[in-house]
Amino acid sequence: MKTSALLATVAFALAASGGTATAADNVVKLGASVQLTGTNANTGRYYQDAYRLTVDKINDAGGIKIGDKTYKLQLDILDNQSDVNLSVRQYVQLLKSDNVDFLLGPFASNFALNDSSVAEKYQVPMVQGGGASGQIYSRGYKYIFGTLPPADDYFASTIDMLGKVDPTPKTVALVAADDSFDVSVAEGTRKHIKDAGMKLVLDKQFRDGGGEFSSILSQIKSSDVDAVLWTGHETDALNFIRQAKSLNVNPKDFYSFTVGVPTADFRQALGKDANYAFGMTSWLPNESLKDKWFGDAKSFADAYQKKYGYAPDYHAASGAADVETFAYALEKAGSTKPDAVRDAIAKSDFDSLYAHVKYGENGQIDLPQIVVQIQDGKLVPVYTDHMLNKPQYPIPAWGKR
Amino acid sequence: MLLVQILVNGVLLGGLYGLMGLGMALVWGVLNVVNLAHGALIMLGGYLTYYLFTGLGIDPFVALPIAALGMFVIGYCLQRFILNLIVRSAMLNTLLITFGLSVVITYLAQLLFSADFRTINPTYSGANFAVAGITIPVVSLAAFVIAFVLAGAVWWLLNEMTIGRAIRATAQNLTAARLYGVDPRNIYALTFGIGAALAGVAGGLFGILTHLTPYVGATLTAKSFVIAIIGGLSNPFKVILGGIVIGVAEQLASLYLGPTYIDVISFGLLVVVLVVRPARSLRAA
Repeated sequence: MKTSALLATVAFALAASGGTATAADNVVKLGASVQLTGTNANTGRYYQDAYRLTVDKINDAGGIKIGDKTYKLQLDILDNQSDVNLSVRQYVQLLKSDNVDFLLGPFASNFALNDSSVAEKYQVPMVQGGGASGQIYSRGYKYIFGTLPPADDYFASTIDMLGKVDPTPKTVALVAADDSFDVSVAEGTRKHIKDAGMKLVLDKQFRDGGGEFSSILSQIKSSDVDAVLWTGHETDALNFIRQAKSLNVNPKDFYSFTVGVPTADFRQALGKDANYAFGMTSWLPNESLKDKWFGDAKSFADAYQKKYGYAPDYHAASGAADVETFAYALEKAGSTKPDAVRDAIAKSDFDSLYAHVKYGENGQIDLPQIVVQIQDGKLVPVYTDHMLNKPQYPIPAWGKR
Repeated sequence: MLLVQILVNGVLLGGLYGLMGLGMALVWGVLNVVNLAHGALIMLGGYLTYYLFTGLGIDPFVALPIAALGMFVIGYCLQRFILNLIVRSAMLNTLLITFGLSVVITYLAQLLFSADFRTINPTYSGANFAVAGITIPVVSLAAFVIAFVLAGAVWWLLNEMTIGRAIRATAQNLTAARLYGVDPRNIYALTFGIGAALAGVAGGLFGILTHLTPYVGATLTAKSFVIAIIGGLSNPFKVILGGIVIGVAEQLASLYLGPTYIDVISFGLLVVVLVVRPARSLRAA
């Protein structure tokens, strides 16, 4: 059976490469394998939708000028079904048989971690906006760039803020999932907690996607901590809050979540129980973020909402910045050669709807996380390096809301 | 105190687990079908309850029996028109077709309901009370009670009602049952329908307690499978007990080893049970 599967794959690969060998001139093909179905589909769609919207916008504005020729961008998106192994195979397929020129990323660190090895192996640059883990950038790879800020520092601004509120929390519980992103967040956060002079009294890891927190919550209750810092993915954050309520677990002052809070879906699913939750985002749709194609971040958010019927969050903005990175780099390189484009990406320095894009030595962007809180069902930015709005702090117990 | 709270959490969680396993064990015991679509049916039941609640404003606990009825009809039709075609053939065929069904149901669910996550969130979903310092969540307690009530109902159906006797007779000796005028096609479909209805109730409760996406099914199938084996296929109450064993074991593992070990423990228990008493646990199958 294995042999026949192999033969089929070879036959398919031959047929595919024969079929697409004559790609149209003046087109730059960007390929990505994204979670359109499966457990990560809920977030994966941000990337597909942001890639599409940005590519269309750039093409409508006349495309990009490389040398003295005008090129259009073309997207080739595959569905990895939320399966890492499939996603690696699809990136190989994109390069070897679908003949894409450059790679955009998937969602989530554990995917980007594996998929970036394909980019490195074939020496084709990948710009990804879905993986924040430092592991992705710690291997000396030259062809991976990322627009999410380092996971290690996700809680940095939050902990900074906690030093300035009254009462300042003294004891902290850290609850982290066991995937690549959250392991990085946890490592960085332990250091930040220590530097801030707080005491880490409970440090718990859970299985990503497990969704069962009653044991951790009971331990939080019995250790009576002041603050809970939680990192994981959205459905787990949702379950954590719901179970906290039903087990009547109240951290004395504060809880915050790396994901979920900025997402409309999350607030809708939780209703009133979402109130008071703190979170973070690297992006908010502000008019102050100017963009060559969209005008500014707010126009981007409006166009996105209008086209897809739901509001973009930082995942979408980050994805849009990835496409723009290629647009700028291709024009600057004046060539579609992977190495020339790679070098131009490394020198990126432009304003966008997402942020000022400039990659560090390791390929990762550095941005501050804006602390946000859900206040009366609305997402309110609270803190960056100074207070933006008054936080509702300390968080009242469930019975007193 | 922490330990007592953890044990209470485990027992209450185990009630829901047992309810998930109940439908699986029934179908497995009577039809000899390991229904790999069981988790997908739980998911469907959850969405049915969700839409009855958010769309029509029916209280989730009132919606549960309606969802169960809907799931019974779906289950009956699945068995009558699809699974009956292969129910007496090799087990591999039933595994393949129920696996296929679970894939089809999951992706249909994504098309119909989108990949957004949903919660069934009535005002009382987080309600709780304290007994001697131990917090008892009301919905978890209700799920626990419902699990026992339904286990009792299944027991009564199988042992006291004519239709139940026909179900057991068909499982024990098909030829003899036929000679007594039992129509196995109908009995099989009824049994699968009841299994689906139980899955529907479990799904509704699951949606109130946690969250729903079209993809929750696969892990729930695995969990139900483990519980059905540990509880055995012959007695509904033992299935609930199997669920409680898993629930408590998971919570203790989470406390002493760390939450990442939850699955290791439940599947480890499965292996232990299969090694220690393989004949007994599978005799009814």
